Amino acid sequence: MDKKEFSEFYNKNIDKVFRFIYLRVDTTETAQDLTSLAFLKLWKRQGSEISNSTAFLYRIARNQIIDFYRSKRKKPLSLDKVGEIADFQVTQPTFSEKIELTLEMERIKKVIQNIKPVYADVIIWHYVDDLSSKEIAQILKKREGNVRVIIHRALQALKEQLEV
Amino acid sequence: MQEKDLIKNLKDLKQIKPNQDWAFWLKSNILQTEPNNLYNKPRVKLAVFSFIPKYQKVFIPSLMAFFFVFSFTFAQTTLPGNVLYPIKTLTQNAKIHFASENTKPVVRLEVAKTRMEDLGKIQNHQKEISAITQNVRKDLEIVTQEIKKIDKKQVALNVSKDIQERSKNLKDLADGIPLDDKDREELNKSVEDSQSQVLALIIQTTDEINQCPSYLKDMLTDLGKYFNDVQEGLYQWSSDDIIKSRDLFIEANDAFKAEDCLTAIDKIESINILMSIYSLDVQVETSTPESLN
Repeated sequence: MDKKEFSEFYNKNIDKVFRFIYLRVDTTETAQDLTSLAFLKLWKRQGSEISNSTAFLYRIARNQIIDFYRSKRKKPLSLDKVGEIADFQVTQPTFSEKIELTLEMERIKKVIQNIKPVYADVIIWHYVDDLSSKEIAQILKKREGNVRVIIHRALQALKEQLEV
Repeated sequence: MQEKDLIKNLKDLKQIKPNQDWAFWLKSNILQTEPNNLYNKPRVKLAVFSFIPKYQKVFIPSLMAFFFVFSFTFAQTTLPGNVLYPIKTLTQNAKIHFASENTKPVVRLEVAKTRMEDLGKIQNHQKEISAITQNVRKDLEIVTQEIKKIDKKQVALNVSKDIQERSKNLKDLADGIPLDDKDREELNKSVEDSQSQVLALIIQTTDEINQCPSYLKDMLTDLGKYFNDVQEGLYQWSSDDIIKSRDLFIEANDAFKAEDCLTAIDKIESINILMSIYSLDVQVETSTPESLN
């Protein structure tokens, strides 16, 4: 993937990946940091064989979220740390413009964060980002039939949480 | 909430988008970095050596100590011409240096013999053979000088006899060394000189010890007279020293009667020391003409 290809791939996926991460973490800044790391890791892997870049990017993003909750104890990564990993000087301008959510959207985000992580992942991928069962199966490295079952159970879990 | 409404609400989340300035900034920064053309897989290290960095402080000195001890031990089996032979020579010199005065001649002779044996086992190292032969000759000369430095005559006699016994095969060892005629002649001369000198020392020391009784008898007689004649002069002495000197005199007499000449001389020497403390004018001469002790 050269610069041009990466640029096109980035433009196509930045919204989806950011949204996926944003719905799983608390703050915009954390979502920005984790999104940065996800794309950077993909760029650094240039030259290695990646059969499906989209699935690979989502897997990276998912692992970033898992690492974030596991090892950082929900503390967002500092921008200095991001810069250190990325090998570039961070002269980060202020991008903390608050994302406006309706009350209903805010409520759904909170419920998504309260269900099982794998359910939250498939809900976002399938219903928000319009990924097919096949694409999700590639990300999770599961069979498509299993993914359909997970999507069904995830929607039920979300409904139950919303009714509480 | 109906499932249909829920899905519609979920679709509304598509409105969530990152700040476009941030997205642009991020992309341009990522593209400025150099990608890894080849994904760097972690280098595989052999687990068997993984302890080295952890125990470096202990491991390296231990390894050095082991290497040192190993070299030292291995060097003892080497012959002239080997790179480790100087370590062997060093060890031998250290043995001589740290030996006591009474054992030094024997140790030096044994070292000289070992070197001669080593020389007999090698060929084609003429330079080393010649240099070591010179050292052997010096050692053989020094042996007799070191015997002379031993204080006690009886000990010196015993050492001389021991050296004489151990020197019997020196000639054979010298014959086994591949030397040119001149060096061989010199070494043989040194061996013969050394053996002759040791024999001379044995005879001389034996004579001195054998002459002891006649001189000792005179000394005891003089000392007995002295104690009888100067009873009044002993008033300066402490009672303990008077008793001690008389005891020593009796012991010296007993040793003389038992033909233990050297013990008798020892006792008389002790009396002489007491007498010198009290600065008496008269001292009994205890030494034989050849300085018995």
